[in-house]
Amino acid sequence: MSEGYLGIDIGSISTKGVVIDQNHQIVARSYLWTEGNPTEASRRVVRELEEQLAGSDIQIVGAGTTGSARRLVGAMLGASVVKNEITAHAVGTTYLHPDVRTILEIGGQDSKIICVENGIAVDYAMNTLCAAGTGSFLSSQAHRLGVEVEEFGAIALTSKRPANIAARCTVFAESDLVHKIQVGYAREDIIAGLCNAVASNYLNNVGKGKKIAAPVVFQGGVSKNEGVVHAFEELLDMEVAVDPDGHLMGAFGAALLAADAGPITNATSGPFAQGTFDFEEMLDFQFKTREIECGKCANHCEIICVYRDDDIIDSWGNRCEKGAVKTKA
Amino acid sequence: MTKIPSSSHSAEDGSNNPNPEVRASITVTKDQGREPRIPATLGKLHSLKGKKKDKHHRRVRVAAFRYCYYAPAFKYFVEQVLDADWLPLPPATKHTIEVGELNSVDYVCTPFKHMLGDYIDALDAGADILIQVGGPCRLGYYGELQEAILRDMGYQFEMLNYSEGIEQGAIGWGIQSIRIVNPSVSIPHALRQLGATANMVEKLDSARDFFLANGGFEQEAGSFDRAWDRFIGAMNEAASQTEISEAYRQVMDTMSTLPLDKPDRPIRIGIVGEMFTAIDERSNLDLDHKVMNMGVEVHRMMNLSNRFIHYNEPNMRRSCAEYIALDDGPTSTLTVAAAKKYAEEGFDGIIHAKSACCTPEIDCMPILQRISEDYSIPILYLTYDAQTSDTGLDTRLEAFYDMLAMKKAKSLK
Repeated sequence: MSEGYLGIDIGSISTKGVVIDQNHQIVARSYLWTEGNPTEASRRVVRELEEQLAGSDIQIVGAGTTGSARRLVGAMLGASVVKNEITAHAVGTTYLHPDVRTILEIGGQDSKIICVENGIAVDYAMNTLCAAGTGSFLSSQAHRLGVEVEEFGAIALTSKRPANIAARCTVFAESDLVHKIQVGYAREDIIAGLCNAVASNYLNNVGKGKKIAAPVVFQGGVSKNEGVVHAFEELLDMEVAVDPDGHLMGAFGAALLAADAGPITNATSGPFAQGTFDFEEMLDFQFKTREIECGKCANHCEIICVYRDDDIIDSWGNRCEKGAVKTKA
Repeated sequence: MTKIPSSSHSAEDGSNNPNPEVRASITVTKDQGREPRIPATLGKLHSLKGKKKDKHHRRVRVAAFRYCYYAPAFKYFVEQVLDADWLPLPPATKHTIEVGELNSVDYVCTPFKHMLGDYIDALDAGADILIQVGGPCRLGYYGELQEAILRDMGYQFEMLNYSEGIEQGAIGWGIQSIRIVNPSVSIPHALRQLGATANMVEKLDSARDFFLANGGFEQEAGSFDRAWDRFIGAMNEAASQTEISEAYRQVMDTMSTLPLDKPDRPIRIGIVGEMFTAIDERSNLDLDHKVMNMGVEVHRMMNLSNRFIHYNEPNMRRSCAEYIALDDGPTSTLTVAAAKKYAEEGFDGIIHAKSACCTPEIDCMPILQRISEDYSIPILYLTYDAQTSDTGLDTRLEAFYDMLAMKKAKSLK
């Protein structure tokens, strides 16, 4: 048997999972839509990974989670590492591209820029207050135009005269877009204009004030869109690399961090109770989240409790010890 | 927007409002272009105009907005300097910010909403007089606007607004306080106690500096918080300069003997930013503790002592003359000077905290970006509105810490 580590990145739009072997190579990968149900999505990811691992001798001895549902799925898996997506992306990318200087990342609901020097993240920024120009915006506009978002890039590259679309804000971009559709612009020009708008919005908001040095790596779901990659290359006037596993980088980073933390040995329940990951264990149980309003003081904290069948396995949200919930780990 | 008064108001009982139609008549005057201040019918609290040190004055209950850890200093000021009753407020709840937000304009800076909620809490608890301060940014208009909003909601009170009388400087403020709060105040006594109030602010800030720098490394969880709570309790009880000094001596003795697990070169983060949000824990979602608990030595130059008592703006601006040539706003010089100092002293990172729509601090951000480049020090920019969820904040802080820790580990190798 050889040891492997599981990394799952549960984003708002898509859920990604990888399994790495002892040499930190990705041996199984999965990418699918979250569809508003992070627990079910991570179960489907785990099932896919299990199928891909069938026949190999890899046993999963540790797991890491990242992404906006990291806490919930971390509790489900009994993960040893629950890390924010910025660190996970930086760790994953710098492992595969040790010479990278700038990481551009556009995901479903957020976008970030990470500046790297000598393989270490030295500065980062993440979109605040506004989700303009992220993947979910592109998806909804693709829906409006009646094309699949996956086809966006190919269509954009056929455009000779991209439409000029206001990039500052999703609301303005959308009204600009509708206007240009209604006056009869060609579809590929509008799509290319949208891709340009996403890239320039990113550079004006998230990338503002940051020095973008080559080599640049672009990742996150939107990096699969050649139109946006092309727009970045034009705007930055430098080559923008996209890794074939670029959309999995968060999950890969989480798996690397789990490998650093070493095998899980002390779990008494959950999928790691036997020392190695038990796929059945995770697939069998029901996971539920309930919100409880603590009434122990006037603040009324919302406490989030995660149940495995009927046992509380994790809770968070309380601001003082009065609201601490006893968990069955 | 409809102003919805909160559930339990004191003014509704009718006893101290002899003329229930007064609201309607105010609306009429307002339409005809009223004065910004609406004269209130004060019921038992007589108008003090023309009556000096008279027997009609009754003791009044004074309240202020909640501000960081400065409640003891406000209390001391009201009780010892103004010789009035202080109305303590319980910790802010979700209701406070909800009702504050509901009755504020959406695009006003966030501290306005917090303060308005505090005032509503205070009036519901029976305050007669509310204190508001003035400042060279929008803060200068807070008092007048909040007074108008609260009166429109139907509350009756007096506002001790320190942005009025500011033309005459300290004397104007003195006249204002005497006129509104207590006509029979002893001036020599008040001046002496004003000195003690300033001293209390300095002691609170000095103890807080020690707390921030060391609290993140406590061996026994909660030991620093307990010492701090005792200190605030003692400061609340203090009624003289001697008691202030004694409380300070005790807390410093306690905190300096608490066992620490502090590495030789801990990660150090400097917090800079706007005066309210960068310090006030309920506005910045407990930023102090969140950063400290990751095992960080926290420094923050911004506090009342450094901004008011020891503030020499031209001098401070000279310390960062390559970045700013003019006094750019109420806290801009302090923000830039502090950031440069932290960068020069080799801090690992800087956190810039401000409320949404705070123009002076937005103007500081390009300057901070230059400092960040010149000294290659990462800066995390945080903007707060009246949000209550801290998930996004946790993600950003955790990532910021991870980055600084990895960078430090590499540089120490």
